[in-house]
Amino acid sequence: MLAFALRRLLSALATLFGVLTLVFVLLSAAPGDPAVLAARSSAARPASPEAVAAFRRLHGLDRPLPVQFATWAARAVRLDLGRSFQDGREVRERLAAALPATLYLNGCALLLALLAAVPCGVSAARRPGGRFDRFTGAVFDLLFATPSFVLGLLLLLVFSVKLHVTPLFSDPALGPAGIALPVATLGLGAVALLSRFVRACVRTALEDPAALAARARGESGRASVRRALRRSAGALSALAAVLVPSLVTGSVLVERLFSWPGAGRLLADGVFARDVPVVLGLTLVAGGAVVVASVAGDLASAWFDPRLRDAGLLEGRS
Amino acid sequence: MTRRRVAALLALLALAACGRKGKNAESVIQRRLEGEPKTLNSLLATTDPENVVLALLERNLLEYDEKLELVPGLAESVEVSPDRRTYTVRLRPELRWEDGRPVTAEDVACTIRTLVDPKTPALSRKSYWDGLDRVEVEDGRTARVVFKEPYAERILAFNLPLLPAAAYEGTDVNTNPRNRAPLANGPYRLGRWEAGRTLELVRNTQYVGEHPGPERILFRVVPENAAAFQALLAGELHEMRVTYEQKTRLEADASASARPLLFDELGYSYIGWKNDHPLFSSPKVRRALTMLIDRETIARTLYGGLARPASGPIPPGLWPYDPSILPWPYDPKKAAALLSEAGFRAGPDGVLRRGSERFAFTLLLGAGSELQRQITEVIQQSLRASGIEMTIRPMEWAAFASKVDAGDFEAAILAFSLDPNPDLAVYWHSSQKAPNGWNTSGYQNPKADALMDRLRTTFDREEARGLYAELLRVIHEDEPVTFLHTVKTRWGLSKRLEDVRTSPIGLFLFWPGGSRWRLGPGTAPL
Repeated sequence: MLAFALRRLLSALATLFGVLTLVFVLLSAAPGDPAVLAARSSAARPASPEAVAAFRRLHGLDRPLPVQFATWAARAVRLDLGRSFQDGREVRERLAAALPATLYLNGCALLLALLAAVPCGVSAARRPGGRFDRFTGAVFDLLFATPSFVLGLLLLLVFSVKLHVTPLFSDPALGPAGIALPVATLGLGAVALLSRFVRACVRTALEDPAALAARARGESGRASVRRALRRSAGALSALAAVLVPSLVTGSVLVERLFSWPGAGRLLADGVFARDVPVVLGLTLVAGGAVVVASVAGDLASAWFDPRLRDAGLLEGRS
Repeated sequence: MTRRRVAALLALLALAACGRKGKNAESVIQRRLEGEPKTLNSLLATTDPENVVLALLERNLLEYDEKLELVPGLAESVEVSPDRRTYTVRLRPELRWEDGRPVTAEDVACTIRTLVDPKTPALSRKSYWDGLDRVEVEDGRTARVVFKEPYAERILAFNLPLLPAAAYEGTDVNTNPRNRAPLANGPYRLGRWEAGRTLELVRNTQYVGEHPGPERILFRVVPENAAAFQALLAGELHEMRVTYEQKTRLEADASASARPLLFDELGYSYIGWKNDHPLFSSPKVRRALTMLIDRETIARTLYGGLARPASGPIPPGLWPYDPSILPWPYDPKKAAALLSEAGFRAGPDGVLRRGSERFAFTLLLGAGSELQRQITEVIQQSLRASGIEMTIRPMEWAAFASKVDAGDFEAAILAFSLDPNPDLAVYWHSSQKAPNGWNTSGYQNPKADALMDRLRTTFDREEARGLYAELLRVIHEDEPVTFLHTVKTRWGLSKRLEDVRTSPIGLFLFWPGGSRWRLGPGTAPL
């Protein structure tokens, strides 16, 4: 088991390194030079070549790309993520400021979504084609198709502007009302996806011959749903792992709309300004989270199902 | 007696209560920032969110007034030596930083030394300080700044805020903790900064100047325009830049809590033609292209009347502006004649040809402005009607900026916002051709170069005016780019705001800028 865990961890770290390299190459290959962008942002007078050169020197942009990446990686191992091109602050400090806000927002939204999605999905699956299934299906399709930005703006107009029940500027310091709108915007989008997924999983499980046989033996509806949920747990946890990176960077538009100073905004600004250290730092965090989640998931599966670890089925994956 | 005393006391209490209530409701101006300030070090600051906050925290040695004339700020005078190389800065007495220390000539010297340090990426200020020879402290209030060569617009360099020497001397300016906790010498100081959300400024009690503004100014970081506009209507923001649609909405609704404010700001939009491209190398062709674009109609329809055709690189807000130079008219017939003189004939596919060369090119369009996209489409249609094939290539902003700054394009639509320095050399001198400078179209005319060189050392304003008139005429005849429009800036302001003044560089970056805005009682919106 220990050897298996080590193997799994090493391959995950290699994947993470690959992703970081790829992001660095893509960002550096994309047209657009951070120094030029910074110079352009200066209010009126063009920046002098000396000032641009100073900017390049300061951020090590005058060195060859492989050296830049190697320097970054060597520092990152020691948890020094460098300084942002945009404001010269330590990336670590910027992440520390932005991540809690984003995790809080996305965590609440995901919790809300799960709390609503599971009962909705199960009810719909128990009577496929029934009134509840058709109603929630239509509503969720609509929600899923609505861009989060539009949904958020609608909520803002109704609840903050017309009804005055929520503040115009979201702020966790204002209590539940202060985060209601961004959480609802993100949560409603996710609930649509999750509930349809739960419905599909549960329905498949309920239609399984074994489930049919159990019902024929007189198993109660409640018990068969419980069994069906247990059978879908694998698929559901796989989906949860997929949602992990979106916890970090999945709320770009919503953060912008609700003036929420989170990691989504940090990432978007970072990409537009070609702020390599910020983008790499966020990639590292989001990627690290995925690695941890997937390794934990695999280990849990292996723990419960010795066939997986003994047959070495997992080596081929990753 | 006692009863009267009680009554008086009650009356006093009531007054005090009213007073406090009034104060709370009226003494905070809420302003919008489109983004988070990246730094509050005024040498490193580049963008609007930084500059508008700093304008309240820090005075400059010399300030621009509403008409862009320089007036005393922290300095009571800046005297120029007869050889125009030495500037003697004399600070006003009694100036203090917010921690109570006096503002001294040491601060002036430290600021200038930091600015010219090769390690300081002072992107928006460094160019004024090229050729600094030395800076000397004469006494506590006097500093002498010596340059290697005289330069006509040098005095504008002294529109300069100061860094406190006590905090910056001998430190790395890029990582100094004061960059996010600045020491103020202006009417306000930084109270609280909640990163990404709000910045609160409070009155600086050490400030010696008059102080009629509110107790507190709250800046909110609101990146999204639609959300900010709702806050403006609800009275939770008191100012913001608005779009055309938002301006129209404010105009249409007399009961709205905000009003639109329109004013001319320094700048112009243009289409850059690559001057060394075979299609665009002749002034005749460039003039013809300008004459094929109906700028009046575009101004009326797309800008809603808030723009007018530009005649050249000096907009009306700058002193060398010459009203006798008129924009080239919209005249497709004359344009056709010019193109035919330049050797172009209609080809079999309806597109003009000169020999084997088709009049077809690609125009780069930076993402971000819907209006600019519409304008290019109108232009594309007009050109097509005259046998010119223009392909529009929209690009992400960063990629666009890099292409343009490298001079790597055939044509590109751009806009300049200008500062009060009328010196045209950075944009039009042949020594500034891309990638060395901002003459990205690659304009080159020895006559224009000579005039710009002479203007560098022409100190007499009337003489300079004459030279500028000559230069502007040369540029007008050459039409190195198609000057499109000068555009009015649109702002939405709470109707409660009083004493709002404007300048060609906007609402905030002159003196007194936003420092004397007050909130009248108004009627609080529901």
